[in-house]
Amino acid sequence: MITAERKPLDEIITMISPYKKLLIVGCGSCVAECASGGEKEVGLLGSALRMDARLTTRELETREITLERQCVYEFIDQLTGLIDQYEAVLSLGCGAGVQAVAEVFPRTPILPALNTLFLGQTKEAGLWLENCRGCGDCRLHLFAAVCPISRCAKQLFNGPCGGSQGGHCEVHPEVPCAWDLVVTGLETQGRLDLLETVYPPADWSKKQGVGFRRIVREDQQ
Amino acid sequence: MRRESQLKKVLTAGHFAVTAECGPPKGADPESVIKKGRLLKGSVDSVNVTDNQTGVVRLCSLAACALLKQEGLDPVLQMVTRDRNRIALQSDILGASALGIRNILCLSGDHQSFGNQPQSLGVFDLDSIQLISTVHQMRDDSQILGGEALSQGPDLFIGAAANPFADPFFYRVIRMAKKVRAGAEFIQTQCIYNLDRFKEWMSQVRDRGLHDQVYILGGLTPLKSAKMAEYMGSQVAGMDIPEKLVARMKGVPPKEQRREGLKICVETIQALREIEGVKGIHLMAIEWEEVVPEIVKEAGLLPRPN
Amino acid sequence: MTTTIPDLNVTIFFCQQLDPNQDANRRVLEKKLGPRVKFFPLPCSGRIEPLHFLRALEAGADLVYLITCPEKACRYQQGNLRARKRMAYAQKLIQEIGLDPDRLILISTTPPLPKRIDLLTQKFLAEPPLKGRSLLSKL
Repeated sequence: MITAERKPLDEIITMISPYKKLLIVGCGSCVAECASGGEKEVGLLGSALRMDARLTTRELETREITLERQCVYEFIDQLTGLIDQYEAVLSLGCGAGVQAVAEVFPRTPILPALNTLFLGQTKEAGLWLENCRGCGDCRLHLFAAVCPISRCAKQLFNGPCGGSQGGHCEVHPEVPCAWDLVVTGLETQGRLDLLETVYPPADWSKKQGVGFRRIVREDQQ
Repeated sequence: MRRESQLKKVLTAGHFAVTAECGPPKGADPESVIKKGRLLKGSVDSVNVTDNQTGVVRLCSLAACALLKQEGLDPVLQMVTRDRNRIALQSDILGASALGIRNILCLSGDHQSFGNQPQSLGVFDLDSIQLISTVHQMRDDSQILGGEALSQGPDLFIGAAANPFADPFFYRVIRMAKKVRAGAEFIQTQCIYNLDRFKEWMSQVRDRGLHDQVYILGGLTPLKSAKMAEYMGSQVAGMDIPEKLVARMKGVPPKEQRREGLKICVETIQALREIEGVKGIHLMAIEWEEVVPEIVKEAGLLPRPN
Repeated sequence: MTTTIPDLNVTIFFCQQLDPNQDANRRVLEKKLGPRVKFFPLPCSGRIEPLHFLRALEAGADLVYLITCPEKACRYQQGNLRARKRMAYAQKLIQEIGLDPDRLILISTTPPLPKRIDLLTQKFLAEPPLKGRSLLSKL
């Protein structure tokens, strides 16, 4: 999923300060899964902002609503009719959601309540770990399903580097060395032969794109 | 300027080579580099210049190598992939060769979070092995990555680093073999304190016949104090300092610890000369370059071949 | 035992597992203490959500108590530990808007504290922490 974290409250409060009528919109997908932008979090944020407004004697009227997804037009459309009654939308969607909503409703300022972080998994309750950087050229089959781009601090394709010790990355003792995992993973699977290959430089254009990346599927239109 | 690499000459002639390291200043002052060069001249065959080591901004390796070249030394350009993309790397390789620099050491580089610019973007467009391969391709095929022809290829003796003390231990030799396959012609290892482990690694190297395919230079850093020994052993990733060495340093009064550290260094050099497959030493006396001539002399490695 | 009725709005979230007769016991106290004191039973204290704390404060509570079973005595293993963490999260959040985190109080019913909800409540209400009215309860 895409993970995100709520911005510090003072930052959000500054962001909403020009507005008296605010629609707070959550998203039931990724950000709900990582406990930052779902219905519960919308309730929490709404309550905190209303209390803050009272404490600082500012006017603030809010309404809370959570869409199933904020990145798909069919769901965003549910805000039609409702959104005109508000001066701004405080979105608890990821960056993709915030912008998707903004494109459907260009006259209303859509404000981001979250800082979008990374693609990752829920490793256990309350722990989310990055494991994909969207490089557009997945070769996990060669590395025992351990991604060298997202999980190696130097994105080496022919690792490990000299700083790997005791299975840890040199950057921090809590960070496992991805290449230690690759090597031991391939050894377990009896595929160390895959490491004999000198992997050539990556095609980063698949990750960086020209402008923003896109996918077009005519069969889906 | 087509002068040959002195390091390559010495190694191919079968001599036991001596290289040292020179750290550039945190400033635009060329004098300190020149001074260090003059200190080392005559005691070593070549001098490595580090490339923004530990992610700390310093006078660039390329410029420092050019300054050393002017002083009549044979510099080894250390090049990390942390700071530059392939366009800049290949460009600098051409520039180095044009300036008469004849040796290059290809590294990934310490992570940027360690240095004084932790907010910078770590580039890592290539890794060290891909860089070795690139230099090799530019030199032998006169081509850049992608195949386009160069008007003139660079003339560089290609080196790489190896760390016999990092993990996973069993894999270290396999990785060095990869570097050799990619085009590495000489190897400088991480500094050696644990001779047993190093011998074990060398025996694995010989089992694969690698000692005949690449010139291996054992790395050394003389210990200045017992504190330094303790710090390096526990805080620096990829470093292995046996307890008995730390104890030896501690067992000597502080005023004599430098001398003891130098003694250990010379003893290690003598041990390395006995190991089959070790073709030289690489002295990394960081911010203590003045001690190199003394070590080389006491180890009986003077005079250097012409 | 006479109870000093505090001049504060108090909300009490408590673990139902503590007192099998909680329903009857608290209603007696509710009648006595009046509308300023509100009780909310939970099947386990671990079911508390930070949102519950915020809503209580928003509704004008000056003090919000969370009563849990003693450590290691949670029927659902981790519930009371989770309760502690969620209260801590709520405390951090309200600090960001300038509210005193000490308005949220955790009571772990380690003996000799009584487990009967009415007796327990009377005990801790008799000595309220040094917090006055919350600004929110006045506005």
